[in-house]
Amino acid sequence: MKKFVHINARTLDEAVSSLRRYGGRAGIIAGGTDLLGKMKDEILPVYPEALINIKTIAGLDFMKEDAGVLRIGALTRLEDIAGESVVREKYAALAQAAARTASPHIRQMGTIAGNLCQDVRCWYYRNPKNRFPCLRKGGGKCYAIDGDNRYHSIMGGSVEGGCYAVHPSDTAPALIALNARVVTTKRTVGLEDFFQVGVAKTIILDADEIVTEIQIPTPASGAKSAFLKFAIRKSIDFPIVNCASGIQFSKGKVADARICLNAVWVRPYRAVKAEKIILKKKIDQDLAESAGNAAVSEAKPMEHNGYMVPIAKALVKRSILACAQP
Amino acid sequence: MIRKQRNEKSTIETPIMPLARYSCPYCLRVFDSFESIKSHVLTVHAAETLPEPEGTVHITVNGQRYSLQVEPDWTLQYLIHDQLGMTGTKLMCDRGACGSCTVILNGRPVLSCMILAIECNGKEVETVEGIAASGHPLIEQYVKHHCMQCGYCTPGFVVTAKALLDRNPDPTELEIGEALGGNLCRCGTYPQHPKAIREAARILRGA
Repeated sequence: MKKFVHINARTLDEAVSSLRRYGGRAGIIAGGTDLLGKMKDEILPVYPEALINIKTIAGLDFMKEDAGVLRIGALTRLEDIAGESVVREKYAALAQAAARTASPHIRQMGTIAGNLCQDVRCWYYRNPKNRFPCLRKGGGKCYAIDGDNRYHSIMGGSVEGGCYAVHPSDTAPALIALNARVVTTKRTVGLEDFFQVGVAKTIILDADEIVTEIQIPTPASGAKSAFLKFAIRKSIDFPIVNCASGIQFSKGKVADARICLNAVWVRPYRAVKAEKIILKKKIDQDLAESAGNAAVSEAKPMEHNGYMVPIAKALVKRSILACAQP
Repeated sequence: MIRKQRNEKSTIETPIMPLARYSCPYCLRVFDSFESIKSHVLTVHAAETLPEPEGTVHITVNGQRYSLQVEPDWTLQYLIHDQLGMTGTKLMCDRGACGSCTVILNGRPVLSCMILAIECNGKEVETVEGIAASGHPLIEQYVKHHCMQCGYCTPGFVVTAKALLDRNPDPTELEIGEALGGNLCRCGTYPQHPKAIREAARILRGA
């Protein structure tokens, strides 16, 4: 790693003012499992001059359920979320997603906000010492278009002829299926709008903005959610495709549905067509199958990633069926 | 004309800067002479203790307290292995993908290669050396069941297993497999670990 200045922030205001002072040339460090890897490989277009540690800020590591909202502090570790009994009972998709993220050690270090704010894992972007000056780094082209794109987007580039990297988060689709909101130092946004389709940015955060909290409305009784992940190794890998469904039932029929795929596009991909198909119907094998087909109807796979389309289809189908189980 | 201007410039008096400046270690105020800073410290900060320089870390490793001066870019693994000389905490991938550098930090099994040493102030670390020194039955069982071939990854496995036994005194084979999911062994000793850990758990329970 290159040299940098390290600042322990004691309050959020202190962290924000430090970010302002460095004007985009400083980074926030919480778990550090993504950031330190990027700094060791020196892949960042702007190497951070300073790291601002927010682990020293008290009161950001909590889980509280009150007034119909589950509030999760930004610094809550993934392992704690996966093991919390309230989350496992009512917010099953989130507990399952947190339990399947990375390896046990990384879950002990990695935070929920860090999992949402992490950078893409495209192997051209992540190649050490900036060997591929890609679009995200202000270069001229996306190397995945002509190169090996087996782990890249099946839903097209982020902008015209743009970046084909995918968003690697496991908890993001689960939180979107549960209709979560993100609270930052500046605003509250729905999680779906938190991710930005842009070439250089993965999330909408400004240079002086910090995520403080995730809020999930408590699902109505009779609502169910499920998360499924396909990865090469069970224990540690990033997802090839993952999918979460949150379905609300009334009288055995679907009253409301939110289905979200991830690792198929540069931001989590909400399968709106699949949601429409199952709405106001009773779920069975055939309906789930046609919802799976609808979810990938707009897929335009590249040369090497066509195999991801049937995986995405199967995960949508199985996650819907998992929600329908009594 | 030009020459004249130059001559004019050279006549401007430059203020004489003091050669040495003293900044107060307590409040960072700057003083021109040693006498003035001395009287400032003695009058204003007489009752205070001297603040620690930046990068001072108080860390407990295997029960031993250390007060160290660290650089911001040092990882905890570098601190333990290269600076403190406890070579059991191995460096392999340096990217948090293999588990060889696992240590127990405040009760959590974590990857020391992905943690900055400067952020460990006031924390408690347990490494494989501490586990061995405490006479933990895991060490003996790992030898008995031959859970290693080249042995490079073994300390990471032992530390992860110790953290598992601390929170779960009777883990099933499945739970052991899940807990060790982040540890890689390229010699392929995986089947031996659950045997050793289950037997160590039995000994610890006194059954």
